[in-house]
Amino acid sequence: MKTLNTLLLAAIPALASAAPAPDLFAIKVGKAETVSHGTIEHAVILIEDGKIVTIGQDLPIERGIRVLDLESWTVMPGLVNPYSRLGMDSRGGDEFNPQVSAFDDLYPSSDEYDRVLEAGYTTLGLYPAGRAVPGRACAVRPGPDTAEGMLLTRDAYLKIYFRSDARAKKMLRDAFAKVDDYVEKEKKAREKFDKDNAGKKTEEKKPDEKKPDEKAGTQEGGEKKDEKKDDKSKKVYVPPEPDEKVKPFLDIVNGKLNALVSIGQAADFLHLMDALGERKLSFDLRVPITREIDMYEVKKQIGERKCRILMEPEISMTPGTMRMRNLAQEFSAEGAKIVFLPRGDTIGAHKNALRNVGEIVAQGLSREVALRALTLEGAELMGIGARLGSLEKNKDANLVFLNGDPFEPGTKIMAVMLEGKVVFGEVQQ
Amino acid sequence: MFQTSRMRAAALCALIGLLAPRVSASFQEGGDAPKEAEKAVDEKKKEEKEEWFALTNGDVFTGTGSLLRGMTVLARNGVITKIASEVDIPEGAKLLDAKGMRVYPGLVATSSSGLFGATSAELEDSVDPFSSRMVLGLASGITSSGMGSVAAKLKRGEIKGVVMRDKYLTTLAYSTNNPSSKRNLSEKFAATAKYLREFREYELKKASNKELKEPPKKGVDSALLSVLKGESLARFNADSREDLLGIARLAQQYGFRPVIDGCGEGWTVADELGRAGAFAVLTPRDRDDKSEALVRPGGSSIENAAILHSRGVQVAIIPSTKGVDLGGIAGRDIIHLPIEAGFAVRGGLPEAAAIAAITIVPARILGIDHRVGTIEVGKDCDLLVIDGDLMHYQSFVQYAVVDGKQVYDKEAELWFAHIRPRTTPSMAPETRVDPGEEVDPNAAPKTEEPKDGEKPAEGTPPEDKPADGETPPKEPPSDPPKEGGTPEPVGGGGQRAG
Repeated sequence: MKTLNTLLLAAIPALASAAPAPDLFAIKVGKAETVSHGTIEHAVILIEDGKIVTIGQDLPIERGIRVLDLESWTVMPGLVNPYSRLGMDSRGGDEFNPQVSAFDDLYPSSDEYDRVLEAGYTTLGLYPAGRAVPGRACAVRPGPDTAEGMLLTRDAYLKIYFRSDARAKKMLRDAFAKVDDYVEKEKKAREKFDKDNAGKKTEEKKPDEKKPDEKAGTQEGGEKKDEKKDDKSKKVYVPPEPDEKVKPFLDIVNGKLNALVSIGQAADFLHLMDALGERKLSFDLRVPITREIDMYEVKKQIGERKCRILMEPEISMTPGTMRMRNLAQEFSAEGAKIVFLPRGDTIGAHKNALRNVGEIVAQGLSREVALRALTLEGAELMGIGARLGSLEKNKDANLVFLNGDPFEPGTKIMAVMLEGKVVFGEVQQ
Repeated sequence: MFQTSRMRAAALCALIGLLAPRVSASFQEGGDAPKEAEKAVDEKKKEEKEEWFALTNGDVFTGTGSLLRGMTVLARNGVITKIASEVDIPEGAKLLDAKGMRVYPGLVATSSSGLFGATSAELEDSVDPFSSRMVLGLASGITSSGMGSVAAKLKRGEIKGVVMRDKYLTTLAYSTNNPSSKRNLSEKFAATAKYLREFREYELKKASNKELKEPPKKGVDSALLSVLKGESLARFNADSREDLLGIARLAQQYGFRPVIDGCGEGWTVADELGRAGAFAVLTPRDRDDKSEALVRPGGSSIENAAILHSRGVQVAIIPSTKGVDLGGIAGRDIIHLPIEAGFAVRGGLPEAAAIAAITIVPARILGIDHRVGTIEVGKDCDLLVIDGDLMHYQSFVQYAVVDGKQVYDKEAELWFAHIRPRTTPSMAPETRVDPGEEVDPNAAPKTEEPKDGEKPAEGTPPEDKPADGETPPKEPPSDPPKEGGTPEPVGGGGQRAG
């Protein structure tokens, strides 16, 4: 009922004004995979200005609203690949550069961004190339012609490349030690400020009284004004500016920025935990799935930490055997969250992503986890989960239309919508 | 001007001389510091959580010369606290039934490669505790190994506490083929020994005579200094008789115990090596023809180890390939360490010496004999449960225990589970008969023994102390009858001749 009301409310003013009509339309689909609220049969989605206004089952649609009748199709949220270098130069160094942003590398006219839309991917996380700490990833929507137009967020996550060696461990320890130093420094600065202020409170009136006197008496040049400004700014506590190389790690400690740590084997995880020590940080993991990867050895610890794991939809083997392992399912069962990436960073791999994830689902991974792993989980990793990644009210209308179940072999992507606009395929009206 | 600067230089030298030994001394303490840290950690753990482990019904070959039948080995937080036939096992202890099996101390390899994964120079920061090579190492019985400059433990699934000791061995080059380096080494030894003598004299007299100056450190090699002080062992690589003789003489002249890798013609100078207190690290299967051009005995054969041992040389055995070799001819790589020791037995080495050659002797060479190499109270609980004789070709390690944790089970791993599978259901823990039920009413006073006070209660306090491998073999089997009321016929542990 609520949805019905909102639908009407939303519809009426639009009709009443009849002014330059806002882009308002409804879609009727056979099935909607909302990701956040399960599957809705015979779903109706109302979209205004590229945002989902409401979604529900068999909602009545106000007359006059344009309706796209797609009863034979299934719709799901646009796919999210939070870990890509599509359209970017692949060179990278081996340096500690957390201040670098991948956004500065973006080349918006690359045609790969148009082609990836055809594969159903409406959100990409572009990470900076390189080992050690290459910098921060940005989230973009492929399609717009300008870098600014593409940008969703500059600070999707900080990428850290970590392997079991003394250098990598020292790098991490040092980075967080510098955060500690800064926090200490900031604390002292605050204490000093509080002390000074407390001291001033008694004197406060005097300078206040003096000020008008000064103004009235001698109006001197800029120097004095600057001093006054200083006085004013002192009253509001301004924490000292952290070093640009320290800030991203400070943000991680404060939970403002996600850390994505790339590791290659189970031992790396133990060494990573050793390097982090007692710190109760949350971080996510990028684990390239190789044929005989031994990550299952630490699945319990990873599950306990509720890490996201960015992995390819691949079946791996128990080392030395032909025994298959569904790592995604194993991790998921332990409480870790899965983010599926295409098997490669190519357009072809993006096009095969649904089919590949379907294979993992056929091997036992739950459908819900798989759908989430392709959409919302990646969006949440990048801190834009409130904006996109599922079919929910107030979220971007990034939609992928399929002619059947997403994980059935033979299902095709019929159309893709980016923020309410059809960017691939044809939608009959 | 010149004079003053010279004086300054002299003073500087003296200062360095004063500092250097301290540096090396503190370095040595550094080796012990981790132990203390571990103790502190252990105590912390005690407060938080005690982890008990008990191996039951084992025929325990302690490695100190005794065979103790039907024993329980109890460990707390990875350290053996009790070896006896009647033990109150604390609740929650992890149990391992070794009925019908033999229990040996974990094997020690003087050197290896690959057992800790693809490691970099800093083993602690790069060890891969999930490496399949580590599993293979455990499957062959190796629980500790030299690796680069460190001695490390094969702790599966853990990266903490892997390194046991760092830089205990000082590698020195001594070869008759390179006269200048040989002379150089001799000179360095002479200078260092002279310095050490003077320094010790200075230390003695320093208190009474405050004006005494520190002896100059000119020409003193810090590595040799630590060797001469007994803080580290000198390691040589030598096979020829001439080299071995030279090393033996050097060792006797300056009073240190050399570790000699190779030692091919060692049997020809076994007396000299024995007198020099040498360690030989050799591969029994290494054969070498005698050089026809020489009249003197030479070459090497399977008897080498036996002859060296009979002359008092401490023999350690290592296969010819230090890594895990999954190609070529099997049996010559690191995972055939006990098989290699078996060849030494074939060549005449007593069995006990062969076991020592892959346990306590390499532990001494690596400077970790206070923790591993034998099954004794106070030492690390590194045990092997084997379905037969350790060195028999048919035997398999069924279980490996490292630091009181079972880290290998033949049946659970893919490597050897299918070869002669363990058949006896008695191995399954749930079918184990718990003797505690029967014992309790009869031996009521015994159960009142304080858990931590088992040593005085047993009346064997000196034997329960951690030994450095030199303590006489203990005979706990004679103790249990004293405690009375043992329902099981366990006491008959024989003693094996060393």
